[in-house]
Amino acid sequence: MVSFSGHLRLQAAARAGGRTALAGQSFRAPYHLSKPYWDADAGTLLVQVVNPTAGILEGDFLESDIAVEKDASLLVTTPSASRVFKMTGGSAECRQHFTVAKGGWLEVLPEPLVPHRGCRYRQTTKVEVETGGGLFFADLLMPGRIAHGEAWAWEKLCLETEVRLGGELILRERFEQSGADLKALAALAGSGPKACFGNAVLVTEGEAPWLPAVAALHGDGVWLGVSALRRGGWSIKFVAADSIRLRKTLCDLRELMAPHYPPMACAARKL
Amino acid sequence: MNSDPATNTDAAWVIGLLQAGDSFYPTGSYAHSFGLEGLVQAGVVHDRATLKQFFQLSTLPSLRQAELPLAAHAWRALGEADWKQVGELCRLSSALKTAREARLAADNIGRQRTELMATMRQHPLAIEYVRRATKESWPYSPAVAAALEGRVMGAPLPAVLAGVYYAAVASLLSAAMKLLRLGQNASQSLLTETLSEAPAIIAAAEVVPLEDIGWFNPWLDIAAARHETSDSRMFIS
Repeated sequence: MVSFSGHLRLQAAARAGGRTALAGQSFRAPYHLSKPYWDADAGTLLVQVVNPTAGILEGDFLESDIAVEKDASLLVTTPSASRVFKMTGGSAECRQHFTVAKGGWLEVLPEPLVPHRGCRYRQTTKVEVETGGGLFFADLLMPGRIAHGEAWAWEKLCLETEVRLGGELILRERFEQSGADLKALAALAGSGPKACFGNAVLVTEGEAPWLPAVAALHGDGVWLGVSALRRGGWSIKFVAADSIRLRKTLCDLRELMAPHYPPMACAARKL
Repeated sequence: MNSDPATNTDAAWVIGLLQAGDSFYPTGSYAHSFGLEGLVQAGVVHDRATLKQFFQLSTLPSLRQAELPLAAHAWRALGEADWKQVGELCRLSSALKTAREARLAADNIGRQRTELMATMRQHPLAIEYVRRATKESWPYSPAVAAALEGRVMGAPLPAVLAGVYYAAVASLLSAAMKLLRLGQNASQSLLTETLSEAPAIIAAAEVVPLEDIGWFNPWLDIAAARHETSDSRMFIS
């Protein structure tokens, strides 16, 4: 069995004139980076993280560490869905660590996670934001390879998120349902056999004038709820009956928030 | 079956837990549905069958992976006077609840239970807990408060967890009787069915490590979030 122990380290720093540049970068397969793109209109640096292998395989251990320094702004995305393939006996793990300094902004928008039949995968995301920093992070989860008629068939899936603001724990979530249980919950809620999930966290201080418009995205096969975290942030959860509506919901959400958080005007698919 | 006679010590904590678990005990939980009203408004839970599904698919896993392990870790930490850990568990309990109303409900109920222990029993552990919680701005937690009650009364861990389990299910059923066409017999039979699973759930919860605490139902969190701005509602959460 060939396995990867890959790492990705990015350090975004503000340069003279207000631009952000990568002051440090280090990566090892299966991670690879595209050439960064400075979006002058949105005032953010767009970086795509590419996995040139087919996806996440048994034995893979992926570690990423992304740091945004004072007054820098970074958008990290992936060009395609992350497939987690069937595993025979082992598992795969991904550990993510994001830090944002005061005045910095980090947006992390990976394409959806697609767990295949029989996979065992654990993802832990730890976020540390200094007071005065900002972050938007959205995790998308598909039920499986819908086009192949395969859904809710993973063996073990655990997605953990922990967010600290100014050192204080403001959010901890652990998503570890079996496929059968999640399928039953989706059926109970009427979201159907292809239900897809979005879990977003916005860390920011101040008012939320976008709240009524974002809450109004609920309906027409989409469940969406927004609620304030313990302090300095928002939890935004959404469930859609299919992947097209899930992606559209995230696009709409970013569009509605962009007037209030300018870096969110950057099109993640620009590269 | 154990035929040993119950001791007076057993009787003391049994009667104490009965008092703390009684609907007559002023915790304020009667005013909350813990997101259930949102799911009823959304048409997800609408009768006994769907309520039972909700218990099986959401309430019991959440108890097994979140509330009960929190109470177990708090019971152990209080037994060792590990106040740092108690404070961390209070913050964790609050951070696990992403819906604001659910978090405020937990904070209010936890505070009331804790303060009742300190004022009614005048127990040094409860008084010290309130002092530290105030000084260090800990959020209050029903699970940690239940652990405190157990320590004050001298109750063993399984009994404390059984109390948490009963209170959670009974509170939801009490709310469900107001929200649904659900009679007393139907609700008691559902309570009996759900309580029959308590031993297995409690045994599993006792061994959940700290780093594995947490569980959520996306639809419940969304319904609870939407309940905050609902045009009409019966319950605070």
